[in-house]
Amino acid sequence: MKKRVLTVLLAGLITTQAYAADSIKIALTGPFSGGSAPMGASMRDGAKIAIAEINAAGGIKVGAKMMKFEVLERDDEAKNERGALIAQELASMSDLAGVIGTVNTGVCLAGDKHYQEKGITKIITPAAGSASMTQWSKAKVKDLSIFRLAAHDGIQAAMVVEEAINRKFTKVAMLYDSTNYGVSGRDDMVEQVKKQGNKLQVVTSDKFNIGDKDMTAQLLRAKNAGAQAVLIWGIGPELAAVANGMAKIGLKAPLIGGWTLSMSNFIDNSGKNGNGTLMPQTFIEEPITPKAKAFIAAYHKAYNVKRIPSPVSAAQGYDAVFIFAAAVKQAQSTDTKKIKLALEDLKEPVQGVITTWKKPFTAWNPANEETHEAFRREQVVMGMVQDGHVIFGNDADRKRLISNATSVKGKK
Amino acid sequence: MDHAVIQLIVSGALMGLVYALVAYGFQLTYATSKSINFGQGELVMLSAFVSLTLTNTGLPYYLMIPGGLLFGVIAGLFVERAGVRLALEQKSEGWILMTIILGLFGISAAENIWGRDDRPFPTPIPTEPIQFFGVSITPLEISVAVGVVLIMVVIELFKRKTLLGKAFEAVSADRDAAELMGISATRTIMLSYGLSGLVAALAGILVSPITTVGPTMASALVLKAFSVAVVAGLESGFGVVIVGLFLGSLESLTSFYVGSGWREAPGLVLLILALAIRPTGIFGKAVIRKV
Amino acid sequence: MLKRLILIRGIEVLMVLLLASIPLVVNNSFVLGLLTLLAIYGILLIGLDITVGYLGLVNLAQAAFLGLGAYAGALTVTQLGFDMLSALLVSTVIGLVMGGLLAFPSLRLEGPQFALATLSFSALSATVLNEWESLTLGAQGLQLHRPPLFGFVLDSKGFYWLCLCFLGLVWMAMRNLLSSQWGRAFEALRDSPIATDAMGIGTYRHKVTAFALGSGLGGLAGGLYAFNFEYLQPHVFVYELMVILLLGVVLGGRKSLWGAFVGAVLIVLLPNLLSNRLLFQIFSATGFLLALGAGGMALYQKRTKLFQAAAPIIAMGLLVTGSFTVQNTEDWRKAIFALMLFSVVVGLPEGLMGFASRFLSRIFSIDPESFAPPSLLEEVLVRKDVDGAPLLQIQDLKCYFGGIKAVDGVSLTVAAGTIHGLIGPNGSGKSTLVNLVSGLYVPTGGTIQFQGRPLVQGSLFAVAQQGISRTFQNLQLFSELTALDNVMVSMKGYYRSPLPLVLLGLAKRSEKRAEADSLALLEMVGLSDQVRVPAKDLPYGAQRFLEIARAVARRPTLIILDEPAAGLAHPDVITLLGIIRRIHQQGITVILIEHHMDVVSELCDTVTVLDGGRIIAEGIPDDIRRNPLVIEAYLGKGSEPAAPAAERPGTLEPVPA
Repeated sequence: MKKRVLTVLLAGLITTQAYAADSIKIALTGPFSGGSAPMGASMRDGAKIAIAEINAAGGIKVGAKMMKFEVLERDDEAKNERGALIAQELASMSDLAGVIGTVNTGVCLAGDKHYQEKGITKIITPAAGSASMTQWSKAKVKDLSIFRLAAHDGIQAAMVVEEAINRKFTKVAMLYDSTNYGVSGRDDMVEQVKKQGNKLQVVTSDKFNIGDKDMTAQLLRAKNAGAQAVLIWGIGPELAAVANGMAKIGLKAPLIGGWTLSMSNFIDNSGKNGNGTLMPQTFIEEPITPKAKAFIAAYHKAYNVKRIPSPVSAAQGYDAVFIFAAAVKQAQSTDTKKIKLALEDLKEPVQGVITTWKKPFTAWNPANEETHEAFRREQVVMGMVQDGHVIFGNDADRKRLISNATSVKGKK
Repeated sequence: MDHAVIQLIVSGALMGLVYALVAYGFQLTYATSKSINFGQGELVMLSAFVSLTLTNTGLPYYLMIPGGLLFGVIAGLFVERAGVRLALEQKSEGWILMTIILGLFGISAAENIWGRDDRPFPTPIPTEPIQFFGVSITPLEISVAVGVVLIMVVIELFKRKTLLGKAFEAVSADRDAAELMGISATRTIMLSYGLSGLVAALAGILVSPITTVGPTMASALVLKAFSVAVVAGLESGFGVVIVGLFLGSLESLTSFYVGSGWREAPGLVLLILALAIRPTGIFGKAVIRKV
Repeated sequence: MLKRLILIRGIEVLMVLLLASIPLVVNNSFVLGLLTLLAIYGILLIGLDITVGYLGLVNLAQAAFLGLGAYAGALTVTQLGFDMLSALLVSTVIGLVMGGLLAFPSLRLEGPQFALATLSFSALSATVLNEWESLTLGAQGLQLHRPPLFGFVLDSKGFYWLCLCFLGLVWMAMRNLLSSQWGRAFEALRDSPIATDAMGIGTYRHKVTAFALGSGLGGLAGGLYAFNFEYLQPHVFVYELMVILLLGVVLGGRKSLWGAFVGAVLIVLLPNLLSNRLLFQIFSATGFLLALGAGGMALYQKRTKLFQAAAPIIAMGLLVTGSFTVQNTEDWRKAIFALMLFSVVVGLPEGLMGFASRFLSRIFSIDPESFAPPSLLEEVLVRKDVDGAPLLQIQDLKCYFGGIKAVDGVSLTVAAGTIHGLIGPNGSGKSTLVNLVSGLYVPTGGTIQFQGRPLVQGSLFAVAQQGISRTFQNLQLFSELTALDNVMVSMKGYYRSPLPLVLLGLAKRSEKRAEADSLALLEMVGLSDQVRVPAKDLPYGAQRFLEIARAVARRPTLIILDEPAAGLAHPDVITLLGIIRRIHQQGITVILIEHHMDVVSELCDTVTVLDGGRIIAEGIPDDIRRNPLVIEAYLGKGSEPAAPAAERPGTLEPVPA
């Protein structure tokens, strides 16, 4: 039995390595099933739209040949163990051009070392936990093949705290889920409160578990302590349970938190209780630019939905592919190490749906993770939930984004 | 502060009632066949999705309910046929795995048919809270509580007052003796799985407006319900309500006074202790060992 | 003998060599990662199989022990700077200790209750790991580096070989343990906890030990897991993983080291293989053909039910259809997994290895291991001199169940060296009385003295330790053990080797002696030809005799036979009489509960008659037969005395002097 499985396995490995010599082999990984699937699947689907567009246009010219993208999908089920094995599998493929994906910071921490070891280029998106990049600066690695295209929690937490201060709140409650994402979000927020001059008093700090539906206890504590706003870090339907619970016990304070508050499972499930919720956004499902309009329409059509489960993930997945494609074109190679070098020094701006990316990455500097982070503070805006949609928190942001996205057009 | 305590107990107790309803589904099948459906949570979830789909076709809420319940019954019968009967015939514990496996399939099917996202479940019952002596409670929550108690009363009455129900009780009490009296144990077990599916479907329809509908909506719920069923005693009828109410309130209070991360810990410790002291459950019958 | 050794041990050695040499041939970090995880899960599942397979309990705590072991190992490295071996030792000990602790409150639990207790423990340990942020860093996760082994930091190949070494060691130790008295005792415990105590084997000690050992292996696997992934998060070790582990054990095949290993292969490789579409298509098509072939064959030969043959075919059929039509198989991973598992569980209920071993044993007929020659019965049961002094004295014994007075003030003396009959109509309290003496029930009132000292009450095990042995009216054999093992597991006086020696395989001599003695006892009851037959497959009469042989293996002072002739055919009754006489000859006092007046008359020195929980008569058999109270109790008021001579079968042997 064992022997047969092994032979089949080995045969399989050989076959996977044998086909497709004229293509750019790229892997998409993330949770495509289970609780984090809305993000993972949106990211994957967004990326696949980009790939379909590129392939439909004939591919990318590498040397004399037009090469098309070929996609490998790997479902990590949000499990660290699966993530590590997938990383080992992908890292052992000699002809892999690169990897895009990962939603869960824990999966990054468990798996990315395998990519780094083999020098496989990976663009993390949409995992936002700070640790997935800081682990490399802490380890002081000299050369890094891991990049990130996601507004990392550091930026987001800074904006959340800033927003609370701008709105003249003094007492806030913190709520976060008990996963890595929630806890590291809390740590980032606490750090930002300190950094921004301790203008906020954190009156309560409470957790909730994945799957919890009754938040009364946590919210009552916040209410009794006189919280004026709830800073929240979590994923998925629990956020909606918080919004609904607040309405129920009459805690009238806005929710301010990570970008996951813009996901449809929050907006739909909180209904009007979600109105006024604020969150940093890299992409808002509003056709403000032609590119965004085309993308949103393509997504709706390809997957037969009326709304993208996680627009941020989808848009980031889409842009990550285009950035990656630009690097392939510049490197004139499908060699992952050459693509990495190109990524660190992209000459041409890349037109994405989020923005026009001008030199998103530079050569890795262990003292500054921002070298491999695509997002800067100015690419992120405050979004606000209003009647089932995310709108711009303020109009200045909207204008800035439009100008970001269109600025290069004229030059071309 | 007193209001806070009562509010906590009320909110916790409501979740407790939901645990009790799912737990009751466990009891129904355990009574007749000494087996339970570990995929009960998936039945809750699938029924909720089917009901949601029915609603989306434009069916009014009160007409959708029988449709959802019917699906629950059919799904329950399917679980019995595909996952339980063979194992019971072989007198093995294969049903544990089989029901887990069917549940796994159910989750995957739901993910692909209805998507991976959590969705709201429309309800005509108002969700605006009403104040009772400083305690907020929504009419929706009251409807859940009423629904839970109502269905359990109806099924218990059915078991006591109708011929079919008495057959059910007979098989629970002594399967062999019941078979000798001409009652088909197989059919009674089918009936119990059908009823258990009905209960799961009702649970899905009742709680979905509060919990939202998604492939993983019931996975946390079902573990709690399992605890409630076992601690109450797998054969004890209304015991689940008391244990459910207690566990729900305890969780809510723990999370307020001890810390939200420790929400489940005291309940878990009590659970292990309760089992150590009364292995057949608090309301279960003590067994005299015969040899 | 040689063939057996070569085939069984040879395959094991070959397997290890094969596994060890793969990294030398295939230079691929993915294959290496899979193999390492395979070795770790192998250890984990072998540990889980002790409770799931041998004890027959649904254990949902193994993932928690993996987690506790992993954190223990990781923290000793990061906080205390331990090296690899000492950290792994800590992991193992944590598993052992926590497993032992959990076993105590769970001792009396079975079925869903045991499952829930272990489930709660897992949830609790995950909560503690998650909330104790100052130590474990909680949900943030704990990063660590693989500690050195004897000063060398292992690379991933070296670490894989280390894991393989551990797997090998665990394999050998468990093989030694499970083929020893311990393994038999674990299985005895599963089949009948009551008999396990009544045979003085002890449920308590064995359940705790089994659970602690299994958990210890979980802890060891956890330590290796930590050093393999170098990153831990509490939420990894929860319900979902437990279910997968449980599936692994059952799919691989319970009660088998190979089964555990095959289970590990499945749960490690399957999810990763499914990613490759071509492989998946080959896999599902093969599975479909297998199901079709096997199912069709079985149906044709009418060996199986329609459902059992058809369900796997339908499931695999769905899978094949899916593998060619579904656009994105990755989306359906769980469903695919479920369909495969469904087919295996329905089609092969005893697991892949259970099936394979049946299949293989048909191809390679391996001679069973030969036995030592049986001991002389005289040496096994050394004749005791008995003096007729009171051996068992019961004073005013009462036992009430609610309002029912099952035994109501019974006083009785059994003289050493006699056969004492206990008769009475149904419901007269005979069995309750016996259950009181043997410690199954706690008396409501009264005293029992044995050999002049008060007898411990309410503990089967303690009573058995004092030299009282019994059989059961409703048979309580260890049904999956062979006849020989049923006797061996109850054999008193041989199994004194401490557990570590057993694990090292240094306790085999006492095994051989116990085997020889057991064979002598089986010969005594006429089962020499059926020593290898599982108890459940023996004919009914043979099962009754086996119970007696098993009770005698305790070398008791007093043996209680609870309706040994119930349901026996006439020739078997004759054999029974011979057996009881043989036991009696060796100086063992016998209490015989019987309905058959003939058997009682034939054998007993004294007879006590119970009715309605009270003694209504006592005396020598012939007097009892004529006692009007007895006749009335048996036949109702106004009956004529029975005609004893006519009822008595003529072929009974004369009573020995």
